[in-house]
Amino acid sequence: MKNSTGIQRLTWLLVSSGWLVSCQTTDPQAQPEVLFTQPANFPQPVYALDQNAPTKAGFVLGRALFYDGMLSRDGSISCAECHNQAYAFTHHQHEVSHGIDNQVGTRNSMPIQNLAWATNFFWDGGVHNLDLAPIAPIENPVEMDDKSSNVIAKLRKSSRYPPLFNAAFGSEEINGPRFLQALSQFMLTLVSGNSRYDKWVRKEPGGTLTDEEQAGLTVFRAKCSSCHAGELFTDNSFRNNGLFIQGSNDIGRAHVTELEEDTYRFKVPSLRNVEKTLPYMHDGRFYSLDAVLTHYTENVQKTQNLDPLLQQNGRLGIALTTHEQQQIIAFLKTLTDEAFLRDPRFVEP
Amino acid sequence: MRNYFARILSILLISFTFVSCHKEALDSIDPNAKNSVSIEFDNRVGDQKMVLGTTPYKNGSGETFSLTTFNYFVSNIALKKEDGTVVKFPNQYFLVRQADARTQTIQLTDVPAGNYGELSFMIGVDSLKSVGGAGDRTGVLDPTSYGEDGMYWSWNSGYLFMKMEGTSGSVPATANIDHKFWLHVGGYGGGWNGSAKTVNNLRTVTLPITNQATVRGNVAPVIHLFVDGLKLLDGPNKISLAATNSVHMPAAAIPLADNGKTMFQIDHVHNDKQ
Repeated sequence: MKNSTGIQRLTWLLVSSGWLVSCQTTDPQAQPEVLFTQPANFPQPVYALDQNAPTKAGFVLGRALFYDGMLSRDGSISCAECHNQAYAFTHHQHEVSHGIDNQVGTRNSMPIQNLAWATNFFWDGGVHNLDLAPIAPIENPVEMDDKSSNVIAKLRKSSRYPPLFNAAFGSEEINGPRFLQALSQFMLTLVSGNSRYDKWVRKEPGGTLTDEEQAGLTVFRAKCSSCHAGELFTDNSFRNNGLFIQGSNDIGRAHVTELEEDTYRFKVPSLRNVEKTLPYMHDGRFYSLDAVLTHYTENVQKTQNLDPLLQQNGRLGIALTTHEQQQIIAFLKTLTDEAFLRDPRFVEP
Repeated sequence: MRNYFARILSILLISFTFVSCHKEALDSIDPNAKNSVSIEFDNRVGDQKMVLGTTPYKNGSGETFSLTTFNYFVSNIALKKEDGTVVKFPNQYFLVRQADARTQTIQLTDVPAGNYGELSFMIGVDSLKSVGGAGDRTGVLDPTSYGEDGMYWSWNSGYLFMKMEGTSGSVPATANIDHKFWLHVGGYGGGWNGSAKTVNNLRTVTLPITNQATVRGNVAPVIHLFVDGLKLLDGPNKISLAATNSVHMPAAAIPLADNGKTMFQIDHVHNDKQ
């Protein structure tokens, strides 16, 4: 009995020290086995990791699927087409994403990062579980335009996938739940929590913020963090941030809930890697952070369901001086996580 | 005269009681015995057999139509014994498709012996399953398994609980040139973090089993339901295909969900010894 306790303690020590080492490592290639880590400054994940914990083989399979055009009707569009690692897995330099046959949708692709902490997915929150998210782009006629059942059929016929499914799930059977779980395993590992800001918060080496950046953080906390809350920089809510109604006249959250009060409400996005995720807003209408800050300061429109936080003290928008805007932008750039954006594990295999 | 009738009636009643007591004595229920119960969903349109294709039907609005698809999910089945105890069958989901006869009889296994006088089930897939992960969504719940016969909304994550599709000359060409109609019912009441926020079109059907399903070690009852698809159009809410021919969102499907609840009736039960 004593002996087994000793073994347990030793195991625990080994496991915990291994975890510490992996957290501290700066070379991602050195620790490829560590697939999902919760940064010390992050809250508990939302995703039920006990039901689908990423494994090395599951991650490898999910990554192969993520980069494979076979998931689209004509083989031309992979997930990565609209989710490019260098831009925090968004579609760069397109207001709205381009899909199959060069068709365009109505919304800008969202970053794929820190999804284990997300309570819903897409700008309107129409999907409640990460596992189910990939079906939406696969079956959307202007994105990948296939049937998920047909994608499964194509994978079964390929020579590449049966061994990958075998490695990940213990048999060569290719089915919907395995397909979706593998994609989740890959996406779950896309954790961005090593920006300069994170290191500063955690008091780690490299964690320095300039005076300008710290001033920006102070203004940010006072003026922006009601919505872009916590370490994920979003409160996961849906709000109308007073954009001009233009273009597709997208009603946002109401498209899903069919509730009048949700008209023009969109998800509050995370600001992690925001420097790289341009263009901004659900329809990609702003090409720079300056334009975003200008919107909040000067151009908030009193449209239906405008968020109360943007109409306080008899004024629309947020009172920010030009200097404060620049300070906020300086701070936001400290949320750029170069290690994440260049992590070789996430690159097309 | 009145006396004469009363006497006959009492004789009949006594003999009934006697017969039923007698039967009861012979047919004791073994508390450890189990058997299966099958439920047959016999889809019809009014008093006609339901056939997909060109067969013409007519609704209460006088509109002629034919059907190409008729599907519905059945889940959360419960059987109530004559003593009031309820046997539930959680985590069992069935998709009845008119295009596939094999799906039209479903089987519950390991049903405890007893006399069951009520059947209830949900039309659709409950909210708990509708927010669960992919690992829970096997068999008929696998959202990647439906092919062209989509029973899942990918953009508004959730199952279609019922769908009826077809063509009708009453669907104006301005709606679509092929005069097609799509009546899709879904919406499990999801919302922010699972709070009941969106439209909930889940409906529970409760049906008396008048002659009882008598499960015994050697009796596996078959409950035969008549399912009248016409009630989807001609239930408490009158649906005219000229006006309502493209329903793809939960709110618009509320009248259909209410109608769908009235489609089912138990016609008879086979309690044959095996």
